[in-house]
Amino acid sequence: MEHSGLLPNMFRKLLLLPAFVSLFVGIMPNSLKAYDALDAIRKRGTLIWGADQEGGGPFVYPNPENPEALVGFEVELAELIAAHLGVKAEFAQGQWDKLPDIMERGDIDIVLNGYEWTPNRAERYGLSIPYYIYELQLLGKVADDSLTSWDDLLQPVDGRPRKVSVLGGTAAQDYVEQFGKGAIDLALFDGATDAMEATELGLSDVDANLQDLPVWTFYGEGYKRLRPIGPAVGRGYYVVMTRTADTDLLKAVNEAILKALQDGSLREIFTRYRMWNETQAARGLETNSNGGFVGSLISGAQTQQELAEAEANSFEKSSGWAVIWQRGGLLIDAAGMTVLLSVVAMPLAVLIGLLIALARLYGPAWLRIPAAFYVELVRGTPLVLQLYLIYFLLPKFLDMLFPGMGLSINAFSAAVLGLAINYSAYEAEIYRGGIKSIPKGQMEAAMSLGMSKSLALRRIIVPQATRLVLPPMTNDFIALFKDTAVCSVITVVELSKMYYIQARSAGAIVELGLLTAFLYLAMSYPLSLLTNRLEKNLSQERRS
Amino acid sequence: MIELTNIIKRYEQHEVLRGVSLTVADGEVCVLLGPSGGGKSTLLRTINGLETFDSGTIRVGDVTLPAAAGPERELALGKIRQRVGMVFQQFNLFPHRTVLQNVTEAPIHVLKQPKDSAIANARRLLDRVGMLDKQNARPGSLSGGQQQRVAIARTLAMSPEAVLFDEPTSALDPRTTAEVISVMTDLAAAGQRMIVVTHAMSFARTVAHQVHILHAGTIAESGPPQQIFDDPQTEITRDFLSEADN
Repeated sequence: MEHSGLLPNMFRKLLLLPAFVSLFVGIMPNSLKAYDALDAIRKRGTLIWGADQEGGGPFVYPNPENPEALVGFEVELAELIAAHLGVKAEFAQGQWDKLPDIMERGDIDIVLNGYEWTPNRAERYGLSIPYYIYELQLLGKVADDSLTSWDDLLQPVDGRPRKVSVLGGTAAQDYVEQFGKGAIDLALFDGATDAMEATELGLSDVDANLQDLPVWTFYGEGYKRLRPIGPAVGRGYYVVMTRTADTDLLKAVNEAILKALQDGSLREIFTRYRMWNETQAARGLETNSNGGFVGSLISGAQTQQELAEAEANSFEKSSGWAVIWQRGGLLIDAAGMTVLLSVVAMPLAVLIGLLIALARLYGPAWLRIPAAFYVELVRGTPLVLQLYLIYFLLPKFLDMLFPGMGLSINAFSAAVLGLAINYSAYEAEIYRGGIKSIPKGQMEAAMSLGMSKSLALRRIIVPQATRLVLPPMTNDFIALFKDTAVCSVITVVELSKMYYIQARSAGAIVELGLLTAFLYLAMSYPLSLLTNRLEKNLSQERRS
Repeated sequence: MIELTNIIKRYEQHEVLRGVSLTVADGEVCVLLGPSGGGKSTLLRTINGLETFDSGTIRVGDVTLPAAAGPERELALGKIRQRVGMVFQQFNLFPHRTVLQNVTEAPIHVLKQPKDSAIANARRLLDRVGMLDKQNARPGSLSGGQQQRVAIARTLAMSPEAVLFDEPTSALDPRTTAEVISVMTDLAAAGQRMIVVTHAMSFARTVAHQVHILHAGTIAESGPPQQIFDDPQTEITRDFLSEADN
């Protein structure tokens, strides 16, 4: 059996992971900033392009045959652009809506992930010429005869407005808002397939879905209860993004796209993903600055034949044990990251928490007040915001403090730091409670024996308090395990993020969901047992 | 020599010590008696700085403890606490350490004694208070009297010039009270200087060299036990003794 070798392999990877990640720990100089980007890319030999695998097909998604490798038309496009620059393409994972920030931070050279051209973006970033002209397709339920045209959308059903699912923050949302003018309700989703799934099942009374046409042509096979309604609408342009300052890079990207448009290689890529259509072909009829046609001309019959051959490259739902065997290893790897984040962050959180608690209880006023403020500030703000600030703003801050040093912080360190800071506020309060519950006589006895306050704290008070706070802290540790999921906003791929990526690309929400839940349980249950045991020991100790 | 001069302490508007002066000579066993709330424990605790005071001076040997907070007071306290030990009503043993570790803790970490000699000395002291067989026990598994004997050994391990006893038997039943009183009596016989706040009249009568009656923040009467118990000079002493008898 092919599968038999898989499990040991997974575990070997699990063991290697800490060593692998430790390479990235610590603050390292950021080599991307402050010089010519194109030069830097050529020197480095790689073009680092950012995208979110969670978005799925046909953009960037795990290869169904080999989920550890990526496929998608943007993967091929990135390779094409990199080849034009004379370098290799290197993929960097990032949360879709954070990709521009990650680029500003200097971690990636370009964003290439279905970003639409908008006037706002054109002001803030370098935008390439379009590599694809997308359109939006309205999808309704096959069984729903009352919805057969865009106009039907405006008619209320059962006395309520129609509801359309869209990806939040995309052109589709804008389009529905413009079209409906308040007469259509919106349901916002994070994932394209989630929106289709919800529409098919009629969840939250969703009647229809407005979807990017490429996504529908790719995933349509998997959603047999949905059908296209009306013609494609709302034409827009997918563009590559660069930093505004990197004009040479942008120029080179434009050259690469134009060349691919003219020599037909762009058409080949899009055909492979069934995305080539009349809209793209008509673009070839536009004239370029030399008066010639922009694109390659090709007969309709040839296109039809190529498209027919490309059927195989569309979405196939995989399910059952097969998908678990195929993708379980990746989830276990990602669980390794979850464990690693937790076991590095928690001791740090406890240490910081202890120092804050001591400052609040025994410190002079100039320490006590900021320490109390720290606790309130950290407890009163969401973890996701803290991670975001550390990852995106700390480098800018460091650059202001130490200009020219190129100091930065990598994603793993930022994640550990963010989790540690967030939990330190809670651990500080637990420790404060623990220390306060130690009888006053303990400190008096220690002082009467000639101990200094710090010696008494170190040898008498804190050790006793630590025994008291261990059970609640173990509980917090379990909570931290689950909170690591938030780290995906700063490009760390841990168990939850990997689940979303794999489940959405494989369509195996249930199977992989159960496996993910099992993995979380396998990590947290031993800790629950430990908490119970610690509590039992403590209560026995106190009884005697 | 321990010398308290005109100690005044206020809690907000209320004066709990109203100008107390007291001298304890070397080798002297000094007992503070008096009704509850008279300021006995407070006075005792000002000597090693567990309580602050508002004016007056405290001298322990050549160290003067000022009333005002500050580095001078901290420095003086550091010296005094190494010379003057304390035994508490609630024992205050360290529950996370064994009996032996309770006794060696301060000698090793404060006096920086070598571990071996600190342990040897601790065993000798535990033997002296009859607790050597429990050296590896945790305080939580001991009776109150046993805990108090360990606490006495812990204090003695610092070789204090004087030991302050703050109601050492008030939390104990009569049988274990006897154990502790017997240890204290032995100590007194060996010439250990101590200041004892207690309600144990028999101890005051038989062991004390000097007895002071503290009432409403002042010393009502001082004298040897024979005078205090058999020939009290003030109304306050007589009232206190007759109430204590009941």
